[in-house]
Parts: sequence; C-alpha cells; structure tokens
Amino acid sequence: MQAGIGLRSQHHEAILNTASPPAWLEAHTENYFHAGGPGVRALERARSLYPLSLHGVGLGLGSADPIDRRHLECVRDAVRRYEPGLVSEHACWGHVDGEHFNDLLPLPYTEEAVEHLAARVREVQDFLGRQILIENLSAYVSFASSQLSEGEFLAALVERSGCGLLLDVNNAYVNASNLGLDLDAFFAALPRHAIQEIHLAGHARRRVGSRELLIDDHGSAVCDDVWALYDDVLRRFGPLPTLIEWDNDVPPLATLLAEAARADQRLERCHAAAA
Amino acid sequence: MQRPPDSARDLRALQAAFGRSLHSVIANDVDLQLLAGSDDATLFGERIDVYRNNAWQFFLTALERTYPVLLRRVGIDFFRQLTREYRAQYPSRRGDLHWIGAAFPAWLASRMAGTGYEWLADLARLEWACEASVAAARRDPVGLESLGGFDADMLPHLALGLQPSLHLVASPFPIWSVWQSNQHDDATPRVDLDAGAEHCVVACVAERVAVYRLEAADHRLLQLLCEGMSLGAATAAATTDAESLARLLGWAFGEGLVVQVVKVTPA
Repeated sequence: MQAGIGLRSQHHEAILNTASPPAWLEAHTENYFHAGGPGVRALERARSLYPLSLHGVGLGLGSADPIDRRHLECVRDAVRRYEPGLVSEHACWGHVDGEHFNDLLPLPYTEEAVEHLAARVREVQDFLGRQILIENLSAYVSFASSQLSEGEFLAALVERSGCGLLLDVNNAYVNASNLGLDLDAFFAALPRHAIQEIHLAGHARRRVGSRELLIDDHGSAVCDDVWALYDDVLRRFGPLPTLIEWDNDVPPLATLLAEAARADQRLERCHAAAA
Repeated sequence: MQRPPDSARDLRALQAAFGRSLHSVIANDVDLQLLAGSDDATLFGERIDVYRNNAWQFFLTALERTYPVLLRRVGIDFFRQLTREYRAQYPSRRGDLHWIGAAFPAWLASRMAGTGYEWLADLARLEWACEASVAAARRDPVGLESLGGFDADMLPHLALGLQPSLHLVASPFPIWSVWQSNQHDDATPRVDLDAGAEHCVVACVAERVAVYRLEAADHRLLQLLCEGMSLGAATAAATTDAESLARLLGWAFGEGLVVQVVKVTPA
C-alpha cells in the first residue's frame, strides 16, 4: 500500500495490529505537544512501525499578529521527538489582536498577504531548520480585495518562501463549488516540483442563507467527484504520497484502510501509465 | 518610542474586521464593506456564520472535554451559558485547544461566589488537575526499597521526588465524591454537598488518571513533601507522627507516585 491515513485516537491500538497496514501515518501536530499522556505513548509506538508526517492546524501563519513563539517551539519539539518525513501547515490565518479562533481562516489573495505569509513561512523554516509544506485551504468566503487567483497566490508563496505544497483535492473541489474556483486554471498555476503530498477527505452539504455550501468537515468518505478530480490530479502531477483524512464521526479503521486502498489502486494505475 | 512600520496594515485591518464579525450575531456594515465590497456583502454576511459557528463550537467542545463532570452536573444549557460568559472574558489565547479551559476554575469561582454553588469551582479545579495530569511527563517510579540504601538515622533528612503528573486539590466540599459518582453513565449521583471537606490527589498511573481521597493530615503532609521538604521537616510542620508518615509513604510508593529519593542537606 502507498497511501496513508490520518492517525486518530480511536485507532491508536488498532493501527499497531492491523493486518493490512497503511503506507504511512499523519498526525495533527497539536495533539502531541505534551510531555506525556496516552496519545503521546501511542504515537511513539506507531512511529516505530510507520513513516510519519506532522500536520499543524494552529500556527495561523498568515495572521498579521506575530507568530506565537511558544506554539512554534512546541512544533519544533514535536519534530525533534517524532522525526517526521514531512511537516505541513495551512495557507491561512487564525488569530488577531491576541485572540485565537482555533480555526483555519481564509486570507485575501493580495500581494501584501502573499508577501506576509511567505515571510512567516521562511521564519518557520529557519526556526525548524527544514522545509515545510503549505496546504491550500477550503473556504466559504472570498474577499473584495483579492487581486490574485488562489493558484497564483500559492505559486508566489512557493517562489518567495521555498516551501513545498500539500495539495488538498477536496479543498479545491469545495472551493470550486463554493467560490467558483476555476480548477483547470488552479492546477495549471501550481508549480509541479513543489507538490509533495495530496490530501483526500469527505465534505458535507449545508444550506447557508440563500445557497447550499460544501462544508469541509472531514466527516465522511471521499465522494465520487473528488475521486475523479484526484484521477485528474494524478494525470497532471504524477503519483504523489496521498493521505485519507477523516476527523469527525471517525469510522472503524477498516473503513479508513478501504479508502486508502482506493487511493492505492489509482496510484498504481498512475505508476503503470508512467512506466 | 516610534513603532516600526506595519508591513501588513491592510491585512491586519481585514483580520480585525473578520474577528469582530465572528463575535457579533450580525456583522456590521462597515466591516462587511471592507471584507466583501458592496456587491457581495449580503452573501458574505450569511457565509461568515460558518466560521462564527466553528469558533464557538471549537471553544465549547474544548471546555466540554475538559470539564465532563461539571457539564453533567449543571446540564448543557447552563454549561453553554457559562461558556459564553467565560469566552467573553477569556477568549482563546493559544493555537492549542488544550489551554482554553486553564482559567475556567478561577473564573468560575468568581462567577459562583455567594450563589451557594461555590463547590462547582472546586470541582472544576479538580477536573483541570486531571487535564494537567494527563499532559504531564511520566517518570519511572522507584519502590519503597529505595529507602533501604540509607541509614535509619538519615531518614528524616531524605526528600522525595514525585511524579510530575501529581496534583493536589483540597476543597471544603465533597468534590471527590461528586467526581467519583459521575464516572459512569449509569450512575445516579447522590452526594450530600454538606458532607464536608475532601482532599484529593490526582496523578496518572499506568496512563490512566487516578483521583485519590486522602485524610486532611495526610494531604497536608504530602503537600509539604511536594514542596521539597525533607521527611523529618514535613512531619514536624504537619504535626503528624511517624506512623502516619509510614502509612503515607507506603501508599505513595505503592501507587508509583515516587520517582526519586534524595538526601537533603540541612540548612
């Protein structure tokens, strides 16, 4: 198997004994900040069996407020402790005037914002002594001040910061539905060399005001449209490490592994086509 | 002193407007104009509700996870009311959800003062101690035999290193009994809140939180030992006797709470 799954506390024991192990695991960095606890022990044991990536959700790198150094130090400590192959965060902001909203909030696609985010990514990379990946965000609003497309914004971020990209296919699909993102133009703008990981996840549909929105809730299986988009992404960019994310209403491990197996089939076809 | 130029002035203004919109039921027109422009202000105003709801739910869920017994005792409606009031005064200050509930016991003590429900704040202190205990480092315990390496006349000059996960909580109310009676869904909590003080010790043993109830004198003695006092000095300060000390040591070593025995040089 080549695809990985997000490690959730419900599977801490089962992942150690499964007969069909995933290729790798991804853990939310903030869940493993502490010195002790059952989660920490579980990740240490899982780390001895699987390659690992650490995926952060709390730095809010695009925030105009300064980076929380305590948080960054915790990220550094987790990286030292678990030695992940990949470290990632999001193209988002999360705090202003000292208040954290503990969410992934969207940035305007402006020259000022990309310059600011690139500076912050460089700061983090310098502090950690390694490259990080930045994930494209799912969003429900866009800003009047945006001057760049989302693809142009991410391409400029890569160029100015030297970061890699984590391409979340579901997020792109959600943005196409919610905000009219042109997927062809989006993928065409992304620098192939920078993309090092793919995320796949489920979403929900909810009526908000006058329209139905797709909510990126990571609470269900990957839908057929996103699988089709994933096929397109593999054709464009070639086989890439792919992760199944499922954070809410977490199913039995077997369900997650079956989703990873579906990704694997597509990765194998992609490898075969490239051979 | 001159402030450095803000290289992200427009971004800061936008994020401040967004942040205000997450707190108000309806985003104000000036902020919507800044965020969305005149054409899309209505749509933006509707959709920002997704983020508003997320911010609230993340905060509420973090408190619910930290204070499950308190939630059970006061009910979800009052717990949500308390959460709204607490969040207004103590918004999240960290990107790590773990810390959201840190100030809650002290805030609750102030909120409940004079209401007859002061015990809720002490229950919250006990639950925060559980949260902190889970997150603390673990160290390998040492056994009672580690005292055997010292001469008998040296015992009063020994001090104990205790598990970093160990926390002490004392209350004039029976908070251990309340906590204990709410650990199972099928339990029927019937605790006499006038039953008097209880003294608790929280620690992580074998990766599970254990909450013990001690006699007041033993609790006092353990507190002094936690502060680094030698066995002899702590026994004297707690005005207890050698038999009580032996009983407490037997329990602490037996539960794996002692990680080190060190000789203290008299001042």
